[in-house]
Amino acid sequence: MNHLTAEEIAAIADGEVAGSEHLRECAACANAVLGELRMKRAVREAAPRYEVPATLVKRLQPRRSAFDWLLPIAAALAIVVGGGLVLRWRAGAPAGEGGGAAPSFELVDMHTTLLASSNAVDVVSTDRHTVKPWFEGRVPFAVPVPELAPPFRLIGGRVVYWRQQPGAYLMIAKGAHRISLFIFRDDMRPTQIRNVASEVWTANGLTFVALADVSQEDLRALREAFSAGR
Amino acid sequence: MTFEELALPLLSPLYTYARWLTSDAQEAEDLVQETFLKGLRGFASFAPGTNFRAWMYRILRNTFLTSRSGLRMQLSIDEDPGRFEDLSVDSTPESELLARHDVERLRAAIQDLPLPFREVLLLVDVEEMSYRDVAEALSIPVGTVTSRLLRARKKLREAIR
Repeated sequence: MNHLTAEEIAAIADGEVAGSEHLRECAACANAVLGELRMKRAVREAAPRYEVPATLVKRLQPRRSAFDWLLPIAAALAIVVGGGLVLRWRAGAPAGEGGGAAPSFELVDMHTTLLASSNAVDVVSTDRHTVKPWFEGRVPFAVPVPELAPPFRLIGGRVVYWRQQPGAYLMIAKGAHRISLFIFRDDMRPTQIRNVASEVWTANGLTFVALADVSQEDLRALREAFSAGR
Repeated sequence: MTFEELALPLLSPLYTYARWLTSDAQEAEDLVQETFLKGLRGFASFAPGTNFRAWMYRILRNTFLTSRSGLRMQLSIDEDPGRFEDLSVDSTPESELLARHDVERLRAAIQDLPLPFREVLLLVDVEEMSYRDVAEALSIPVGTVTSRLLRARKKLREAIR
């Protein structure tokens, strides 16, 4: 068995390539990808982030007519920044900050991590009458688990934490593909999701985030199954 | 698309990149202002359909390199492939669960990385740029992006071990 090279492991973690069949059968390489994802996440946490200072926006204001377009954002930024330089270390920002919009990369990381895991779900069952009650007492809301019709098939679920909030995670199969469905209380929504197909919706005070390496139509069909099946 | 429509969303990431390069707030402002001016002037020569973001990053970086602190910056680094020994991932995920004080150490380690490694790492991990975009922005081959990235992560692993 040929193990993945360091370059290949990085390329998978960085989303440069889709993945590798090898990961399904090799725990060492799957672990290496996980390690790389953790490192990326740690770097994002630790990396310095800066907000554009109002003084810069002001300097880009129209001494030239070509910069007329910067005026509206100058006004907007002046309100946000409030004058002066604002330097913010990302890790120092309080959780859940930003009007309920929370970074989506954490969900994408969880999705990737769980797909690579050999025991991704704590309750393994295709039966919604097993999975739904399992969540009772584990998450602070009733988890809707509808009867899924083919091509979708329930695999199981587990509790996940996102921004210090417990949520339900359902793993759903469509053929050989795996779909991650995260369900949280409605007070948090992810920012724009990149690098993976996604469908985000809210219903009955809950936010649903579906991530998968499948088509957008498939995710929409899944969303309809959840909307119809309650 | 006009220059304005394309450039406006890049103001914040470009400023952040300028801060990573200069680590000086005032200089970063100058850099971004000059980048926007150069971008606007040169926009006629920008080929539509090619990568505008990488193009703007490249203008900013070239502007930085010809600035006084850019010239001072030591950019000659050892790219000898023989030095990339032992890049295999030898740590288990468990050992990489970061505690709070590790975040501080990691932050310091990122700051300590030589600029060519730091910028590749941050562009890929924080700005989520593809290897190809980074290569285009920095005018280096994709293979160099990969090797710098792996070496940067290796240094960080050692720093937080």
